[in-house]
Amino acid sequence: MITERLIMRMETEQRCGSNAVQKRYGIVEINSMETGAGKQESAERMDHRFEIVGIRPATQAEPARRRKWYEGRPVFAAVLLSAIICGCLGCDLIMTKDPAFLDLENYNVSPCREFLFGTDTMGRDIFSMIWYGGRVSLFIGIAATLLSTSAAIVFGAASGCAPDWADGLMMRLTEILLSVPGLLVVILLQAVLGKANVVSISFVIGITGWMGIAKVVRSEVRQIRNSEYVIASRCMGGGFFHILWKHLTPNFISSIMFMAVMNIRSAIVAESTLSFMGIGLPVDEITWGSMLSLPEQALLTNSWWIILIPGLFLIATLVCITSLGNYLRAGVNRGESNF
Amino acid sequence: MREEHGFGSDMHNNLLYGGRHVCFGALTDGLLRKTAYYGKKLLIFLGSIFLLSIVVFYISRLAPGDPLISYYGERAERMGPEEREWAKDRLGLKDSVSVQYVRWLTNALQGDFGISYKYKTDVMEVIGGRIGNTLLLGGTGFVLIFGLALLLGVLCAWHEGRLADRVICQVGTVTSCIPEFWLSLVLILIFAVNLKWLPSSGAYTAGRAEDPGDRILHLILPMTVVVTGHLWYYAYMIRNRILEELRADYVLLAKAKGMKRRSVMFRHCLRNVLPSYFSIMAISVPHIMGGTYIVETVFSFPGLGTLSYESARYKDYNLLMVLCMLSGAVVILCSLAAQTVNERVDPRMAGAGRTVLK
Repeated sequence: MITERLIMRMETEQRCGSNAVQKRYGIVEINSMETGAGKQESAERMDHRFEIVGIRPATQAEPARRRKWYEGRPVFAAVLLSAIICGCLGCDLIMTKDPAFLDLENYNVSPCREFLFGTDTMGRDIFSMIWYGGRVSLFIGIAATLLSTSAAIVFGAASGCAPDWADGLMMRLTEILLSVPGLLVVILLQAVLGKANVVSISFVIGITGWMGIAKVVRSEVRQIRNSEYVIASRCMGGGFFHILWKHLTPNFISSIMFMAVMNIRSAIVAESTLSFMGIGLPVDEITWGSMLSLPEQALLTNSWWIILIPGLFLIATLVCITSLGNYLRAGVNRGESNF
Repeated sequence: MREEHGFGSDMHNNLLYGGRHVCFGALTDGLLRKTAYYGKKLLIFLGSIFLLSIVVFYISRLAPGDPLISYYGERAERMGPEEREWAKDRLGLKDSVSVQYVRWLTNALQGDFGISYKYKTDVMEVIGGRIGNTLLLGGTGFVLIFGLALLLGVLCAWHEGRLADRVICQVGTVTSCIPEFWLSLVLILIFAVNLKWLPSSGAYTAGRAEDPGDRILHLILPMTVVVTGHLWYYAYMIRNRILEELRADYVLLAKAKGMKRRSVMFRHCLRNVLPSYFSIMAISVPHIMGGTYIVETVFSFPGLGTLSYESARYKDYNLLMVLCMLSGAVVILCSLAAQTVNERVDPRMAGAGRTVLK
């Protein structure tokens, strides 16, 4: 039984004509069941000319120190994100002003005691707008993700269960859709749907973001579609959606979690970019994106707070979502490096 | 087990195909297969472009909006119904969409893409005047992104798990979260409005179009946004790919042989990572192109991005068609290139494709 493999380099100095040093290498496998201390000793007992260049324990070693519960977990991101979400949900309690009220006497006011984050060029209070608009932005992010994820699960599972030719056709279609820049499709769709509102924009963003997840779902489903439990369920007359929900989804949900979370992020970015470019929500529909959609006047008057503050909130949310998503990503490169 | 198998099939390949330089039958066979392969790719390309043209034509015609405004400007709103009919007839917008499409297609096949309603000259001329700017911005951005991404990827993989890696990863994650338009606004606010170091819009100062220094000054801010917006996404991909490679057994063997870390990284690992690097490059083109378009609109940089935005908004049909086909062609070409890289460039893949059992 091999308990440990020591990779050793033996340096024997041989004078061969010139002063060149010849090196010889070898891999030594210690066939023993000695304890850790014993191993160390046996390694030390070896000639000092052997240089250990790599040790690979064949059995999983105990972690040296028990990790605290918060280590390796994105606690800070979770706390910050829940603070932002709670603030947005309970915006009625926090807001100091009516976010839609155009205070024509106090426009472009820099942050002060009355207007905590200042007012924008139309005289709206930015502090109130952030909480009020955040609710809409987060809603769009989550609604679009729900739509795209469920579309991806159904499409991917259908493709995975389909016969080979249909599967090939469906996957070619996803690849073509995947290669078109999402934003252009959104712009075209939005143009067809007409004037944007919160629901239509979540629909448009959701319908353009399912392809990546569908590919993962399809390859996972292809691996498990012939498992005994799926066949058993089918024999007992389970329909496609029953099998999908009861047997397939629990098996692949962990592998698409990361992508789903990242979808929330890209949906929020897409909404704000669209609103900023003037193709998304109109200015009177307050979101983090539409708050940034009248930048010219802010730039001309050098009112940094109109641009910086909503953007920082947006980015803080995105960073928190990203680090939560990264935590969910299952074991990428967790093995030990050979380098 | 797996390595043994790979080695075995390699041997067979050598036996079967290694002798093709001698055997004429095998030579034509290989040539035929190659022609069939690339012929199929060409067919896919042409078919997709054709489909794309139909979809874009119909969607743009069906979308609400008045193309007459882009041709006649303000005057279109004051036109009477008769005058409108006459104008529509003149622009060829009176027939049904299908008739219009067939007419457009026959003209396009002869190289005539019509005139732009807004600029009132040939579409190709309008695009020809702008495409250089976009290529400059996008092309230089692309080179910078991938050069830096490889550097950062290697740097992070080299120091995996150590302070440098962790710091770069954190900073990178934050930068990848910043929306491009917001970064552009903040850069304009800092460098153009407050410090007054750099211009905030356009590709050159009026009257100094020929001055390269002036052009570079105008490129700095948009370029910064294009690069920072995409850099970390690709650098992280490359980093993870290298880390995956560093866990392979041959790295251990190379170390046991006494190879330097540097030569393990650059001679063995990077070489194995290169095919994925190229295919990431090919896939990235549409994304970077999309990003360039946004940046162009924010900085009112006279490139294809601003042009597409205008033409989509003001229903400049002919211009919109050509722009969509152009971006579509680039996108499809790149995804085909990525497939080819995956299937052909990597010699290991070539071996895997031709199984002995066929």
